[in-house]
Amino acid sequence: MTRGHWSKLLIALLALPALLLPAASLGYILWRAGPVLDWAFVSSADEGMGFGVASGILPQLTGSLLLAFSACLLAAPVALGCALYYQLCAGTGRRGILLILLQMLQGIPPIVFGLAGLLIFVYLLDWGVSLASGAVVLAGVVLPLLTVNVIDALQRLPTHYSESARSLGLRDGELIMRVWLPMAWPGILTGLLLAMARALSETAPILFTATVFSGAGWPDSIFEPVTTLQTHVFYLAQEAADEQAVATAWGSAAVLVGVVLIFALLAQCLRRMSGSRSD
Amino acid sequence: MHVSALLVGLVLFLLLGFLWFGAWPFLRQDGIASLFASQWYPFEGLFGMAPALLGSLWVVLLALFLALPLALAGAVFNLELMPSRWQGFLRLGMQVLAGIPSVVYGLMGLWLLLPLLESQLELLTGRSLLAAGLLLALMILPTLMVMSEEALHGVRAEQKESAINLGLDWNQRLWRVLLPQAWPGIRSACLLALGRALGETVAVMLVVGSMDRLPQPWYNLLQPAQTLTSRIGREIGEAGMGSLHWSALMASGLLLAMLALLLASLAQLMGREKR
Repeated sequence: MTRGHWSKLLIALLALPALLLPAASLGYILWRAGPVLDWAFVSSADEGMGFGVASGILPQLTGSLLLAFSACLLAAPVALGCALYYQLCAGTGRRGILLILLQMLQGIPPIVFGLAGLLIFVYLLDWGVSLASGAVVLAGVVLPLLTVNVIDALQRLPTHYSESARSLGLRDGELIMRVWLPMAWPGILTGLLLAMARALSETAPILFTATVFSGAGWPDSIFEPVTTLQTHVFYLAQEAADEQAVATAWGSAAVLVGVVLIFALLAQCLRRMSGSRSD
Repeated sequence: MHVSALLVGLVLFLLLGFLWFGAWPFLRQDGIASLFASQWYPFEGLFGMAPALLGSLWVVLLALFLALPLALAGAVFNLELMPSRWQGFLRLGMQVLAGIPSVVYGLMGLWLLLPLLESQLELLTGRSLLAAGLLLALMILPTLMVMSEEALHGVRAEQKESAINLGLDWNQRLWRVLLPQAWPGIRSACLLALGRALGETVAVMLVVGSMDRLPQPWYNLLQPAQTLTSRIGREIGEAGMGSLHWSALMASGLLLAMLALLLASLAQLMGREKR
């Protein structure tokens, strides 16, 4: 064997974990979740005294989705505004500043958002541990990701559309409403789906700002706490003495992974479709 | 539009401003000296940052050193050795891995990794810096691999061709052309991955053991330890608003944010150098 063959073999061996781990992880989660995973598990609430331990994760699932959706709803207008600003400021230094700010924001750990949110919203504004506090904190966490994606979507539009529109005398507002948004919506939707996936998978920022372990169903107002799948897994995972709790934790984890992957893969499909169209 | 662009700056400003405001009582009392103090006993008023700081440093470096070779090998394998029809397969796998929420990694760490470590290394408890490092390595693998692959993919075709024309064999092309040319991109990937690992909370919190003391000796990775994130996560619920303990946790958060911003700026500066 030549040296080239040896190094190829070595690289193939080293690459093995990257090849196998995704399937292995998913398989393991499903295997552990198997015993509790059925339709009733997902579609029922735990009414009893089990503190969410026994079965039924419907409130957690809806809580997670509600929180993530509110966060995206809050972040979307800001992200869209930023992206349009970026697009209209072509050729000025302000673009660079905005990008630097976004990357800084993206670099800040989610738990830091949680800490600041705890101080500002939970205590200083006295919103308490609530859906509102959590949604604003999560909106901050997903904002840079969403903005970068919307900027990408607008940047991918062929420049001759904008140029023709300009030459026809369209003003900024008309250009945005008649050309950019209609053309770029698949990309914007992709960004929103990715932001949903991200918001659904964050635990640290909402642990102290939005959620309680049990006793919260669908909130009556935005100033009530919710329960989420993420925190449900987090609390149940630590119930070492209770096998049922751990089984429920695996079940909830499998559902959580499923929901996140649905959003992430939908985004991927949409990106591929819209990418091939504009080429 | 101008408003929303301002809002991004405002969010960053408010975030750091309020952290500073929350951390101020602690900073005024202990200040910089607490970075080197090694004892953290909230009830006795001792707030030394050193154990958590060292713990954070250990786990992120460990994660990077474990994950980087695997990620690079994966990227090279996918680009150079895999038939192009199958290339999407590995990328899909990485998306799946990246899509698994950190709390689920924590669950896997707690119920799969810890028992394994305990039985294999004959430890009393598997909770350790090593466990956290292993888990983080798995979590940053997708980022590292996808970005390294992009960097390798971006090496210009002329350079690859001239390397072939010079008669370099596969090995030489890889080590002397491909990897050096892609290095700036790989370096940015490393910095981003470090930042991600540094800020990861729940997964680390579940497996690191949350024991606030310096490793004995300093390179001992098999003892329960603490990181900045796990300390904040464990203790913020107990600390009363306005207490010195609370303020010290806010200071930990501020320190974490500063380190993360440093890594993000480094990644940006080096990325710009490349162009």
